[in-house]
Amino acid sequence: MPMPQLLAGALELALNKVLALDPNSQKRLAELDGKRMRIKLQEMPWPLTFVFSSRIDVLMDQEQPVDCAMALSLSHLNEMQDPANISALIQDKKLSLNGDMHTAQSFAALMKELDIDWEEHISRYTGDVIAHESVRLVKNIHQRAKSHFLQLGQIIKDGALQEKQLVPHPLAIEDFSQEVNRLRADTARFEARLNQLEQRAKR
Amino acid sequence: MNQQSDTNQTHFGYKTVDKDSKASMVAGVFHSVAAKYDLMNDLLSMGIHRIWKRFTIDCSGVRAGHRVLDLAGGTGDLAAKFSRLVGEKGQVILADINDSMLKVGRDKLRDKGIVGNVDYVQANAECLPFPDNHFDLITIAFGLRNVTDKDKALASMFRVLKPGGRLLVLEFSKPEIEALSKAYDLYSFHVLPKVGQLVVGDAESYQYLAESIRMHPDQDTLKGMMEDVGFEQVTYHNLTGGIVALHRGFKF
Repeated sequence: MPMPQLLAGALELALNKVLALDPNSQKRLAELDGKRMRIKLQEMPWPLTFVFSSRIDVLMDQEQPVDCAMALSLSHLNEMQDPANISALIQDKKLSLNGDMHTAQSFAALMKELDIDWEEHISRYTGDVIAHESVRLVKNIHQRAKSHFLQLGQIIKDGALQEKQLVPHPLAIEDFSQEVNRLRADTARFEARLNQLEQRAKR
Repeated sequence: MNQQSDTNQTHFGYKTVDKDSKASMVAGVFHSVAAKYDLMNDLLSMGIHRIWKRFTIDCSGVRAGHRVLDLAGGTGDLAAKFSRLVGEKGQVILADINDSMLKVGRDKLRDKGIVGNVDYVQANAECLPFPDNHFDLITIAFGLRNVTDKDKALASMFRVLKPGGRLLVLEFSKPEIEALSKAYDLYSFHVLPKVGQLVVGDAESYQYLAESIRMHPDQDTLKGMMEDVGFEQVTYHNLTGGIVALHRGFKF
């Protein structure tokens, strides 16, 4: 079975399902009507081509020209959600972009501005009360998980810095860096002075 | 040339019938299965036909403004996608010899809001009612094996294709591995008709489906037939172990 087509099919289905949940997405999608965009992820052997109309079609086509072609790593894909990040990613050489940058920005905006009323959609199947409670529960779990992760991060940081002293404190690193810079400057001055003295001795 | 072209008889599954009567017999099969065609496709292929069709679209090279002929287009799976890919300036013609299939396809596409650049034509693949050098792309998915005179149909497709255009033939073919072939035979002749009987109430049509697949030319024979009518750079790609093959040929 052709795996790339299976992947493209799953991605296309997911993208269009998610867009259908946001009633305002059609307006943003209309800005991309008729455009083609190709994304090559470093971790994937095949590029994905997105064709925009009243929905998004995902193709594995590699031969047809596109309005915008991008190459980046999967780890930077999340940063692409914010159109303002695109220029910074290009400058940092984390993103290679050929063609119309506006297409990439419109696609990023399409995904970033998704506003899905999950409670409303779930209530169609479960009723209002269950939907409200389910969404509240998920939000609580998310908040708690986030808070636990932050706490855990802080505990690991404190343990590594202070109790076990596995890594130096950021202030110590900063101080060390400044010392190294001073030493580099002193060495440069010393070298210049030495050269000067050598020149004089030769005369 | 295909041996069948030289006589007045042809295959209808394993039966040998008059050429004149095959079209109406095939029509009978598709009138019977049209209403539940999509459901049966999903059921019998376990949804894999969608992946085969996706692969076909990926090999089509279709772009905005192209004119596409989806022959034996059935319920419009390929035409729906092509309609979006060619855009407002392009055109897709969904053609099928069977009016029941065409009606199901037209209703399905209209229900999905696919209108404007799709036209529906009841046409026989052997004598296509279109001008010479007219289409950028022709696809025929799971249709060629039902055509009475395949050579004549391929020649007709070659005529209406623009120079630089391509033909894609997606069709059941010959499995590459012997073990797979045996398992596939078992499935085709024992499971397929029973599911057909259960869902559509028609085992015979699905018996014909299994037989017609076995009587269809294998990968290399079909490649040769395409070359014989003038197609160039003909290649094929086996899918799911050769159960299905996608043939691609260009007109220059």
